[in-house]
Amino acid sequence: MGLLNDCRIPGHFDEMFDDDGQPRPHCARLCERLGEMSPNDFVSRRHLAELSLVHQGVTFTVYGDERGIEKPWPFDLAPRVVPGAEWDRLERGLKQRLTALNLFLYDIYHDQKILHDGVVPRDLVVSAAHFRRAMIGFRPPDGIYVHICGTDLIRDDRGDYRVLEDNLRTPSGVCYLLQNRTILKRIFPVLFRDISVRPVDSYTTQLLENLRRLAPDRGRAEPNVVLLTPGVYNSAYYEHSFLAQQLGIELVEGRDLFTHDAVVYMKTTRGPQQVDVIYRRVDDDFLDPLAFRSNSMLGVPGLVNAYRAGNVALANAIGTGVADDKAVYVYVPRMIEYYLGEEPLLPNVETYLASDPAHLSYILANLDRLVIKATNESGGYGMLIGPQSSAEEREEFAKRISAAPRGYIAQPLIHLSTAPTFIDGEFQSRHIDMRPYILCGPDGITLVPGALTRVALRKGSYVVNSSQGGGSKDTWVLTTDSMSQSMPGMTQSMPGMSQSMETSPGGVAAQAMGALNQAMARMQPALSSLEMDAPHVADAHPIPGAYRGNQ
Amino acid sequence: MLSRHADACYWIGRCVERAEATARALDVHYHAALESLLPASVDDPEDSGALSPWKAVLAVTGSAHAFEPRYKLASDRNVLQFFVLDRENSNSIFSIWSAARENARTVREMIASEMWECLNVSYLQLQEWTLDRVLDGSPHEFFQSVQNASHLFQGVLDRTLLFDETRDWLDVGRFLERGGQTARLLDIKYHQLLPATRSADPGSVSPETYGIGGPLDIQGWIAVLRSVSAFEMFRKRHRDGFRPPAIVEFLVLGPAFPASIRHCVDRVGQCLQRISGSASEEPAGESERLIGRLQADLTYARPEEIIIGGLHEFALDVQSRCAQIGSAITHEYFSY
Repeated sequence: MGLLNDCRIPGHFDEMFDDDGQPRPHCARLCERLGEMSPNDFVSRRHLAELSLVHQGVTFTVYGDERGIEKPWPFDLAPRVVPGAEWDRLERGLKQRLTALNLFLYDIYHDQKILHDGVVPRDLVVSAAHFRRAMIGFRPPDGIYVHICGTDLIRDDRGDYRVLEDNLRTPSGVCYLLQNRTILKRIFPVLFRDISVRPVDSYTTQLLENLRRLAPDRGRAEPNVVLLTPGVYNSAYYEHSFLAQQLGIELVEGRDLFTHDAVVYMKTTRGPQQVDVIYRRVDDDFLDPLAFRSNSMLGVPGLVNAYRAGNVALANAIGTGVADDKAVYVYVPRMIEYYLGEEPLLPNVETYLASDPAHLSYILANLDRLVIKATNESGGYGMLIGPQSSAEEREEFAKRISAAPRGYIAQPLIHLSTAPTFIDGEFQSRHIDMRPYILCGPDGITLVPGALTRVALRKGSYVVNSSQGGGSKDTWVLTTDSMSQSMPGMTQSMPGMSQSMETSPGGVAAQAMGALNQAMARMQPALSSLEMDAPHVADAHPIPGAYRGNQ
Repeated sequence: MLSRHADACYWIGRCVERAEATARALDVHYHAALESLLPASVDDPEDSGALSPWKAVLAVTGSAHAFEPRYKLASDRNVLQFFVLDRENSNSIFSIWSAARENARTVREMIASEMWECLNVSYLQLQEWTLDRVLDGSPHEFFQSVQNASHLFQGVLDRTLLFDETRDWLDVGRFLERGGQTARLLDIKYHQLLPATRSADPGSVSPETYGIGGPLDIQGWIAVLRSVSAFEMFRKRHRDGFRPPAIVEFLVLGPAFPASIRHCVDRVGQCLQRISGSASEEPAGESERLIGRLQADLTYARPEEIIIGGLHEFALDVQSRCAQIGSAITHEYFSY
C-alpha cells in the first residue's frame, strides 16, 4: 500500500475505514487520491501549507523560549468527509436544538413556564453561575438570545453522533474552519475538483447580515456594527481580527468605547461615533464593571444600561450561559419536547447530576469509572477522569462533590471516533470531535455545511484542545450522498440518559443505572471541549506577537 | 477611524522608517570607518578618542546614556549588538521592527494582509540573525536586508492600501519620522567634526585633514549624503563638488528629494489636512498650526543662513519641533 493504510484502532469507530478495513464509500475517492501520493510529496505539501500559516501569523506560541518561537496552527491535511445525507440529518438536529435553546432562554427570563411546569428544576436554573437576574423581563431584539452557537458533537464507538456540549456564550474557532478550507483548496486543487464539496464561504456574509439586522432603528442607512475583543493578548485574538476583517467591521477593545446617556460611542479620530451593534467576544462577567465584575478592565462602564435601554444590540445576548451550564445541558432533550413537541434528533451523552440524591450516591460509588466535570468550568478545569485518577484525587473530588453537588455532573467514558492523521511521516489513527457553527437571525437558523474537526494529536489521547496538543482538520460535506451503506446510529435507538428522560423524568436514575452496564465498557473520557474565549486576565505574561492557539 | 487604530498606524509608519534610518546610518558609518581618514573604532578606550564614528552615531540617536552603562566600550561589536539585536534597547532594529509588527497585529484587519505578512516575514527573518552572522559576512548584507524590508513594506503599502485615513496615518508616521531622521543625520556631521574644531589641544589636529573643505570634511559630507541614499541624486543636481550650502539646500530646503526635511514636512501637513478635513489656510488644530509654521520656515529660509546659524542648532531645532508635532497629534487625535 502507499501513503494511506488502514490504521484503525480496534474498538473505535473510524471515519474513513469500515470494520473490514475498507475505505467507506464516501471516502473512496479521497483514499484513492491520497494513496497515489508519496510521503515526500505529502510532506512537501504540508510544509507549503505551514509556511503560508507562519507568514500570515496564524500561529501559536511555545512557552519557555525567550524568543517566543511561534509554531503554525496545527492542522492535518487529510480532511474528514461527511456524506450529504448524514450532514442533512445533523443540520436538522442542530437547528431543532438551537430553536429550543432560544425558546428556553426567552422563557426563563420572562414567564418561566418550563420551571412552573416542573420540566426543568427551578433550583438548577436560578443557581446557575451564568443566570443573569438583571436580564429578567428584558426582551432582546427579535427575542433571540443565541445568535452564534458552536455545538460540540462526538461519535461514539458505534458511530452515533451525540452532543457533548453547546457553547452559547462566545464560541470560538470558526476562523479555523474557514482558514483550513482556504489552505486545502490551495494545496489540493485537483482533489477538490474531483470530490464535490459544499462551500462554506457564506458564513461571514450571513453573520454580517444577521448582525446588521439587530441594529436599533435609528432611521440611518447603515448601522455601525463592531466586534468587541478582550485585546491582542487573548488567545482567540487572531480569530477576532480575522472576522472583523472578513466582515468589514471595526475591531474594538473596551477602552475604545464609552457610554453617555445610555448610548454607546467609540472614540474615533473625528470624535465620538455611536455604536449600534456589538458582536462581543468578551464574556458577560467582563462586559460592564458597573453591572458585573467591578474589576474588569476589558468592559465598558454603562454598557448593560445602554443595552437594556435598547440603544445598542449585543450578540450573543447577556445571560445565555445559563443554558450551556453542564447540569442544564441534561434537560435540553426535554426542552425540545416541551417547546417544540418533537422528538430530539440528536441525543446527549448520558449524564448524572450530583444534585440529584440518587445520582449522587451512584457517582460517589463509581468515581473510578466516570468522568466528573464542574458545571460552570471550561477548558478542562475542575475535571476528574476516573480511570486515570489516583485514590487521593478521587477522595478529594468526593469531598468537593458532597460539599457542592450542584457544581458537578458525571458522564461515562466515551470512545471518540478516529480518523487517519498524518503524524511523523505516516498516517496514524487519532481521535476527533466536531464543532459546527450555527447562526440564528430574524429569518431563521442557518449553518454552513462544514465544521471545525478537532484532532487529539497525541497517540491515544482524547484531548482535542489545542493547548494540549490538539490540531484540526477541514470537514468536507459532500454535495451528494455517495454513501451506499446505511448510516449507523442516527435514527436508531438512543441509549441511556436522553431516551430515559423522554419517557420518564421521574425514573432518570434508575434508567441511567440500567444503561450503565453498556456504558462501563467505554472507559475513555470525552474531553473535547473547545471552550469559550478565555478571559484576557488569564494571560499572566503575554508574549507580544503570540497567537497561543484556541482554548 | 478608531483613535487606537490611528495611533497604531502612525507608529507602524514611524517604526519602519526608524528601522530603515538606523540601518542606513550604521551601514554608512561602519563602512566609512573602514577607510582610514576617519579613525577606525578600536577596542582600546585610551586610543579611541572622541573621533570614533560610533560616538557620533550614539550621540545623535540620543543613545549614549543607554549604551555606556551596559557596554562601556564603543567597539564595532558592542555598538552593532546594541543597535541591531539588543532586545533591551527599545531603539535597536530588532525592537523597532517588533514594535511595528506588534502594532500591525492590532490593526491587521484594517491593512492589507500583504502588509502584515511583509512585516511578519521580515520579523521572522530578523529573529534568525546573530551578531556573529552579521559580522562574519559583510554587515552590509544585514543592513541591506533591513532597508529592503522597509522598501518592500512601503511598496506593498503603496500598491495595496486604499487612499483613506489609514494610509494618511501611516504616512504621517513615516514622513514625520523620516524628516526627523534626516535632521539627525545632518547632525552626525557636526559631531564628527566636533573634536577637530573644539579640541583642547589644537596642535593634535591637522588642519589639512580636518579643516573645512579638507578630505575629512568632504568624506563626512559624502557619508551624510550616503546615509540618506542621496549621493547619486545629489550628483545629478550638483556636479561642482560638495559645497555645504548645496547639500543643505538638497537635504533640507529643496522639495525634490524624498527624504528632504521640506518634502517630509509638506507630506505630513497634507495628510493632517485630509484627516481633519480642513480645506482652508486656517489650521484645524495645534498639530496643523505647528506643521504650518515649520513649513513656512523651511520654505523661506536660505541655506547660508542655516550654516551661519549653526547646522547643529538647526538640526536640534527641527528635531524638537518634530517631537512637538508628534505630541500635538497624540493629544488631538489619539488620547483626547
